[in-house]
Amino acid sequence: MHLMTLPRLHRAVLALAACALGLVFAPEAAAQPTLRLTITPATITFAPADPDTTPSIAAPSVTVSYRVRSNATGSWRISLLASGDLTAGTATIPITNVTWTASPTPPFQAGTLSGTLAQTLASGSGNVQNTTTGTVVFRLANSWTYNVGSYSTAVVFTLTAP
Amino acid sequence: MTDIKRLTLGFAAFALVATQGLGAATATGSLSATVTVSATAKLTLSSATVTFPSADPDLSPSIAAAEGPVTITAKGKTSTGASISLTLLAGNDLLSGSGSIPISNVTWTASGAGFAAGTMSKTAAQTVASWTNSGNRTGTQTFALANSWIYAAGSYTTTAQYTLTAP
Repeated sequence: MHLMTLPRLHRAVLALAACALGLVFAPEAAAQPTLRLTITPATITFAPADPDTTPSIAAPSVTVSYRVRSNATGSWRISLLASGDLTAGTATIPITNVTWTASPTPPFQAGTLSGTLAQTLASGSGNVQNTTTGTVVFRLANSWTYNVGSYSTAVVFTLTAP
Repeated sequence: MTDIKRLTLGFAAFALVATQGLGAATATGSLSATVTVSATAKLTLSSATVTFPSADPDLSPSIAAAEGPVTITAKGKTSTGASISLTLLAGNDLLSGSGSIPISNVTWTASGAGFAAGTMSKTAAQTVASWTNSGNRTGTQTFALANSWIYAAGSYTTTAQYTLTAP
């Protein structure tokens, strides 16, 4: 009796496992969001200016193109994270001196760059079936305290879903 | 029964790993930000003229400028570790026709971080203020003329030039 039951139990467990795998994997595979994110241009430059007459230097606008699919019930978020302060050799300009405004609002929002914590640029829920664009304008707080140099840093845009 | 337990545990572990691996999707883009800061200097004086009124040398051995202190705002951008300096150089002595009063008889006291007292010169620029690295400074300069009975009567004038240097 026992010799006959054990193979049956194996088959039962295998069937259960296969069924469970189907339940676990089939919906997850179908819900895996498909994301697309494009940033244009790849470089922005803050033009030199007199801090007295131009206390805030605006860079040319940046276009953010994004698309979110297979995300019917999930949320999505575009975040910004700088690699660090603006640096020129040993000279630095704090990255927190760079702020941005963005449109349309929502889903976009204004903020201040950080080198340590990703900041939300845009967020929403569900799908964005067609490629959609937003405009971001970065501004550098101008100051007489900046030492001479050619400063640079990198900013990573990350689109995440859910 | 031992085989059944192994199979069940194996399945449970596999399902957990697979769920975590499929939980999120990301797409990234990168932007480079640049700014060039060039050497710049900017100087503002509250008054372009300083006048020393006539006074009895016995009662006023030092004549303060009638305009009071000159407020100076100096701003400059320079390289890291470099010095910014503000100097003053007289064009000549105080002159009135053939009469003259040595410009070295004009001195000043100063207030404000980076500012220093001094004596005017027509041959060597005198330091009014200096500091290291970019930045702006505001201070005052109060001029005085050493009074003397030996000055011939006359209306004396000279010019002096401030130079703010941010290398």
